Amino acid sequence: MKKNSLLIIVFICIAISLKSQSSTKQDIKLGLIFQKTQSLYLENGIGADYSSDFLLNKQIHLKASYLSSRFGSALGTNAIKQDNIIVGADWRFRQNKDLQILAGLNGGVLLVDYENSVFDVLPKSATFLSIETGLVYNFKFPISISLTAGYNLKSGNGIDIPGTLFPVFYKFGVFYKL
Amino acid sequence: MNKHIIYSIVILLTITFVSCNPTPEIEDSMLDSGKISYALPDSLNRNLVSRYLANPTNVQKETPVIIAAHGYTATTFEWEELRAYADSAKTFYVSQVLLGGHGRSYEDFKKASWQDWQSSIIEEYIKLSDLGFKKIYLAGSSTGAPLILQMLKSELFSKHTNPKGFFLVDPIVVSSNKTLTLVGLLGPVLGYTTVELDNGEVGKWYVYRPQETLKELMKLIDLTRRDLEKGITVSGNFYMKVYKSSIDETADPVSAVMIYKGIKYEPSLNKNIDIEMVDSKIHVFTRLKGRPQISNKDNALQHKAFAEMEAKMKQL
Repeated sequence: MKKNSLLIIVFICIAISLKSQSSTKQDIKLGLIFQKTQSLYLENGIGADYSSDFLLNKQIHLKASYLSSRFGSALGTNAIKQDNIIVGADWRFRQNKDLQILAGLNGGVLLVDYENSVFDVLPKSATFLSIETGLVYNFKFPISISLTAGYNLKSGNGIDIPGTLFPVFYKFGVFYKL
Repeated sequence: MNKHIIYSIVILLTITFVSCNPTPEIEDSMLDSGKISYALPDSLNRNLVSRYLANPTNVQKETPVIIAAHGYTATTFEWEELRAYADSAKTFYVSQVLLGGHGRSYEDFKKASWQDWQSSIIEEYIKLSDLGFKKIYLAGSSTGAPLILQMLKSELFSKHTNPKGFFLVDPIVVSSNKTLTLVGLLGPVLGYTTVELDNGEVGKWYVYRPQETLKELMKLIDLTRRDLEKGITVSGNFYMKVYKSSIDETADPVSAVMIYKGIKYEPSLNKNIDIEMVDSKIHVFTRLKGRPQISNKDNALQHKAFAEMEAKMKQL
């Protein structure tokens, strides 16, 4: 067990030392995302970020993520299990600097599992649209972190949109550049 | 450049201060004026069982009594129809509690915390327990429900006569209007919000909602949501039923899901609370008086709920 852990650490160190945030034609980043909705759940998951010289010299980033309360608030609690599948695009300001500012637009689907047929009358899914802004920091090694805040343009009303779609959210992401 | 920033800040501050209008214009016909008080002794003597049955007989002590708590900005008017049903059925009593800070004046309301709102429910419950009433039930509509759930979470019931059951009507754990989650940010700018009442509701509900009370409401429902997430495990074999309108523009129906998942009996009892998603668009469908348009279906739903409560109390 200890030997395996050591090997993993050595592998990560080698990967980091071999790769720097040097400029390539296209960048693909994979990472973990932690999202806290104001007055509601922590929803965590995975995400990917793609940019290319073709996308206005990497000024535009395309992204996709999967976030779920199953890996956050609902882990071992009675919180409602819900999943978010999100795609979006960011515009990066200061794209040649380590510290960048982003402004983006996201769209996605929210799927809610009430776990009991008595609640079948309630809306179980909805599409959503949100705006997001914040900061991204690219380290010298192939790791970047982001801290953003966003606003869902249409919130849940419990009638045709699940009531657990709240307006304001905050996200923290850690990405590794492939 | 610097000048522009300074001008922008000055304009923003001016807008903020102009927008802040903490005192609305209150008319005498409004409950907010303080000229129509539900907290006068006559009103309390008529509404509270602990007052009008201050020396109960043994038969009265064995008769079920429901302590009915109304919602945010409302008054005891919200449970008048259940009281009328009970007076006619003569099988149970209804004690219509006026929440702290409510039914008085805008200024009294503004000063009250959610614990103040809750205090009158606790007070009536302890009085009835001390008077020897053996079959105590609690009913909460809208905000009355999280106030009762917070009592359930506390150790209060174990120190007095254990309630036999709970009836929650359109409980609010999540507001349908999600802007409430931003009240900490927007509240100081808005000062208060205004509600349009129907003619039959004037003088029975507050028209103005001070931002301080909206913050208290948000504190209460957010705390209750987090408690339900962790699970409110209760000892005792009491009965609980939640009635939730499936279309509700005030209390998001997802509140019922959270209560269903969050209230836990001891595992040995192997049971869950009862939930009924009611085919209604009315928030607090058990209160029809004062509403402009009532259908036969609305009347039937109200009667069915009251009859079920009565039957359950006979059965337990």
